[in-house]
Amino acid sequence: MQISQEMVQQIVSQVLAEMKAAPPQPSVSAVLAAEGKLTLRDKGVAQKGTNAKEVVIGVAPAFGKNLHYTIKKLPHDQILREIMAGIEEEGCTARIVRITRTGDLGHIGNRAAKLSGSGIGIGLQSKGTIVIHQKDLFPLTNLELFPLSPILTLEKYRAIGRNAAKYAKGENPTPVPVKLDETVLPLYQPIAVLLHNKEVLDIVHRGDDIELEAQFKE
Amino acid sequence: MQLVAGVDIGNSTTEVALAEIEGSRIEFIASGIHPTTGIKGTKENINGILSALDDALRKSQYEFSDIASIQINEASPVIGDVAMETITETIITESTMIGHNPSTPGGVGLGLGKTMAFSDVEHYQGDEEIIVCIPRDIDFAVAAQILNQKLASGVKVRGAIAQNNDGVLICNRLQKTLPIIDEVAHLEKVPLGMQAAVEVAAPGKSIETLSNPYGIATVFSLNPEETKLIVPVARALIGNRSAVVIRTPQGDVHERRIPAGKLIILGERHKAEVDVELGAAEIMDSVEKIKPLQDAQGEPGTNVGGMLQRVKKVMANLTDQNPDSVAIQDILAVDTFVPQAVKGGVAGESALESAVGIAAMVKTNRLPMQQIAAALQDRVGIKVEIAGIEANMAILGALTTPGTNKPLAILDMGAGSTDAAIITAKNVIYSTHLAGAGDMVTMLINSELGLENSELAEEIKTYPLAKVESMFHIRREDGTVQFFDQPLDPRLFARVVILKGNGADDLTPIPTDYSMERIRMVRQESKRKVFVTNALRALGRVATDGNIRLVDFVVMVGGSALDFEIPEMLTEALAEYKVVAGRANIRGVEGPRNAVATGLVFSYFYRNGGGDK
Repeated sequence: MQISQEMVQQIVSQVLAEMKAAPPQPSVSAVLAAEGKLTLRDKGVAQKGTNAKEVVIGVAPAFGKNLHYTIKKLPHDQILREIMAGIEEEGCTARIVRITRTGDLGHIGNRAAKLSGSGIGIGLQSKGTIVIHQKDLFPLTNLELFPLSPILTLEKYRAIGRNAAKYAKGENPTPVPVKLDETVLPLYQPIAVLLHNKEVLDIVHRGDDIELEAQFKE
Repeated sequence: MQLVAGVDIGNSTTEVALAEIEGSRIEFIASGIHPTTGIKGTKENINGILSALDDALRKSQYEFSDIASIQINEASPVIGDVAMETITETIITESTMIGHNPSTPGGVGLGLGKTMAFSDVEHYQGDEEIIVCIPRDIDFAVAAQILNQKLASGVKVRGAIAQNNDGVLICNRLQKTLPIIDEVAHLEKVPLGMQAAVEVAAPGKSIETLSNPYGIATVFSLNPEETKLIVPVARALIGNRSAVVIRTPQGDVHERRIPAGKLIILGERHKAEVDVELGAAEIMDSVEKIKPLQDAQGEPGTNVGGMLQRVKKVMANLTDQNPDSVAIQDILAVDTFVPQAVKGGVAGESALESAVGIAAMVKTNRLPMQQIAAALQDRVGIKVEIAGIEANMAILGALTTPGTNKPLAILDMGAGSTDAAIITAKNVIYSTHLAGAGDMVTMLINSELGLENSELAEEIKTYPLAKVESMFHIRREDGTVQFFDQPLDPRLFARVVILKGNGADDLTPIPTDYSMERIRMVRQESKRKVFVTNALRALGRVATDGNIRLVDFVVMVGGSALDFEIPEMLTEALAEYKVVAGRANIRGVEGPRNAVATGLVFSYFYRNGGGDK
């Protein structure tokens, strides 16, 4: 896409404002609503899996911790649940790992894949951007990439989980169809930058990959 | 010494053979090849001829001006076209059954009960056995929770039908294993309050009760009369991993023949009318009885009528004739399958419906070769001659294959037509042109796999397959493994690919979820249906008394002889007739290419007193 001068200035000024002023908080009740529903309990440093039917979901540093909604305001508990359901429906098992050393989607996905017993991993950023990765790929390539998180719905997250499981089983899935919407980029670019800034605040320098246990509350 | 060039203008390639002739000595120096420019038989061909000549001259020490004579062929004026007509459809009435194959149904076993909406189940406390219908807006956890509550309180839930792809998810959360069929797109069409049976087989198995008429009879306590009526339902469910059968008063499944119209075949003495919906075998029987064909027509106002009219119109445009004067000289009909949505299906299921593919061949007036020859002569200032009939030239060329002898038959399988010619021990040549060749195979692959992309189908036809098993290795269709040093393109991961060569850049993914085995089977079956059928038909027409056993040698020439498996298929099929059949090797070096061009040079050689025929 074309990045115009104004857009860069707009983003820079927003980022600066963000850095000076206290970040604008979503309404307290909304945060509480999503916060309480998902507990991601640390279970120590993640080991490489040996289970051939597992798919590792690598989540970004702030996912479900200091950030609770995607860019489209989908609660993290719901998208994680849908991805896990997609994997389970195909007869595979999901394992969740927090990648703490980077906020880059490709690297998160690739690290997850390298930890996965099947060699298939999913990278998931707090803003909702998601990728299906494979252990032998270069970090910046992918099996399926969904760069426009604002147009992803819960059904799409389920389908992405399902496809990841199908790759793990050695099947030949049809890539999850996503419509391309050019208007999404200019509309959401500034918010994406802000969310990413928050995400990287939680990066731990050379941090370990942390095994997580997800608990959902209704 | 004279330098002579034989030029063969084919549908797809223009080929050149270059030879020195001196008295009774003939020596071939070089051959050239170039894609044909424009449609065969038009003046646009000249550019391709010049490029092919250049190609050959570059491999020799001669210049253009050294050529004494150019020989071009009298192209056989046949053009073929293909079309397809679906002749059956499956209709389900009153949503009697759900026969689709969701990839992941839940649970295992057979459940019987009355269908009940999920909203009613929540408050149900009766003691009837029930099958629960779970609509899209119910979350899998909620569904499982309520079903667990009901099961705990003694409600006899025996199975479930889910709209979402939730079968495994719900089943994993239940305290008791229930058969659950999911991905039922039109759940609202399932009749409620009816006796129903849900069956799910274990992974890798197919259902046993609902695909057996007596199984259904047992389940629903049917009498013998009713059991007879249930046979189509059972038949439709054979091979599925999961199914639902619902007992409704008028429910039925039937396969209907779609009236596609009559095909009218006109011979020299006889005339026959065949209903297209009777299938390919009936049509081919009539064609064989009536041959040689004068023309074929479709019943006006029917699908087949429109189809043959289209073929004639295309031919007429191509050859600048009146559509009424275009006569169809041969027809090849082939039975095939087309995946189609089932009418009245509840789950959006599809069935493989029968279809008939028809290839038609049209003989046109002579192609304007004379004009091409004259234009070429003007352009290059070298004498250009039209040397002879294509089939005869091909035979002369084919006889240069080591190990052949007269009587020799050639099979020339191109894109639009299959041609055969035979030379007897007494040097008499017979030839024939039949409808159906490479283009028809492409059409069959395209429709049976539901690709709707004929370029992709063409590639599937041409190249072998492989499955990408990791980023560093593929497994070819014959089971061998090939490794790569560099990781493959991620878009290829886990896909079935077309192998255009040996490099990592030569892999093209096929965007379907068919397995490699299935695609390979469709490809090979399509080739057999067209090429083996046509080879036998063609040889039967040129052989003495129509007896293929009397042919000793058959060589295959032309584009399809370059195919990686068609020659082997024909060698195998013709071995039954004790015929030596194989791919030609023109002049011992050219393989199946260059037969006609070589024949043209030989023809010149013989006509000018060289050697003895």
